[in-house]
Amino acid sequence: MSSRILPDFNLLLPQSVAEAVELLSTHRDRITVMAGGTDVMVAMKFAQSAAKLPEFVMSLENVPGLGYVLFDPEKGLRIGAKATVAELLAPPEVKQHYRALWHAAQTFATAQVRNTATVLGNLLRASPAGDCSCAVYALGGVVVLHGPHGSRDVDIDDFWLSYGVTARQPDELAVELTLPPPAAGSRSAFKRMTRMSEDLAKLNVAVRLEMSGNTCVDARLAMGCVAPTPLRLTKTETLLRGHELTPEVLQRVAASVPWEISPIDDKRSTAEYRKQVSGVLLKRAIQEACGVA
Amino acid sequence: MKNRDITLHINGEQYSLNVAVNRTLLDVLRDELGMTETKYGCGTGECGACTVLVEGKAINSCLTLAATMDGKRITTAAGLSDFGRLDHIQQAFVDEAAIQCGYCTPGMVMKTASLLAKNPDPSEAEIRHALEGNICRCTGYEKIVKAVKKAAQTMPGRATAVERCKEVVQ
Repeated sequence: MSSRILPDFNLLLPQSVAEAVELLSTHRDRITVMAGGTDVMVAMKFAQSAAKLPEFVMSLENVPGLGYVLFDPEKGLRIGAKATVAELLAPPEVKQHYRALWHAAQTFATAQVRNTATVLGNLLRASPAGDCSCAVYALGGVVVLHGPHGSRDVDIDDFWLSYGVTARQPDELAVELTLPPPAAGSRSAFKRMTRMSEDLAKLNVAVRLEMSGNTCVDARLAMGCVAPTPLRLTKTETLLRGHELTPEVLQRVAASVPWEISPIDDKRSTAEYRKQVSGVLLKRAIQEACGVA
Repeated sequence: MKNRDITLHINGEQYSLNVAVNRTLLDVLRDELGMTETKYGCGTGECGACTVLVEGKAINSCLTLAATMDGKRITTAAGLSDFGRLDHIQQAFVDEAAIQCGYCTPGMVMKTASLLAKNPDPSEAEIRHALEGNICRCTGYEKIVKAVKKAAQTMPGRATAVERCKEVVQ
């Protein structure tokens, strides 16, 4: 275990998605898939035991055609498995229609990491602190997985199973994240709390609201760093649906959050502090989404 | 595979190498090619001392497998100078005394190079945002920010670059 020396492994460099899936079918969970590598490399350097080290690292470097970020007003936003966080920031429609994800990507880690890390990799890491994960959870979307028996779509609501575990099977390759097309009256926002801007978040939150005037027709609220996986605040969402966003409603919404989360003490913050500020941060995200902040 | 034959184009020179697949780009630059201007800091992508440009983009070479860099164009801090003559960024760091122990400097200089290539006239906020991934443990940030401003002002072909970027924005 060293920040300098990587353990021994075999490198696999498939030339296509089909070859990558074939390799996954053969070696299954003995393979760690690497796109940008910013998480995988650190995990390998600091693996607690030899049992946690991969026998094979499969780099997607030579797999063509997965680096796209494509927007279509009818179909939504398609993000390929190799699209980096920096590449997500390039198309103007991302800022315009997927504000929460744009904001998460813009403040994500550091410029060097944004140039390497992939958006899909952030979701696949299944960390409760993932900034892109939090934003995508609020926006909604599907992860497209290719396996030996074809392709399947997993709704983001069913994607994270527990800490570090996703619905992806060992013989499947995640190839795309698709976000829904922008709806009229839809708006979103993302906020995070850190000590230094490059730190992992101590708390992050993302909201997507469907508004009709000042009335909230539908809401998706997501929070990170408060449970083993990114969390959707489904009970708090019901306090918004069908209501006008008055100060009283926002107060009730903020007060409901600590009851829905289960944060822990760690080196970035304490459970007590996270519970104290979670409601306020959510309220501010709602206000920002509605342009009243 | 445990080893791979790769070709790297570093600072305009071509290198054909056989690298172990578990070596980082930083390891290969420093230990196999003796290019020690790129520094090893944290090894986890937080300090930015190992920053190099790959195809013009700033990345952490400590988090990059050398074996996956076949055919790539790589620039290190030594690649900015011309036969020992410092370029405008390096000169600005010297002029502003933006160097204390100097360990973070090659990474700072490379990140500055990537920033100014995209944005030849950055505001102070933009400079600080761009340098978030480069830590100076001597905490000499004020002078570093001044050096980046000076580098922008003394950039060769600055007027043209600023105009071109304005057109792109419009």
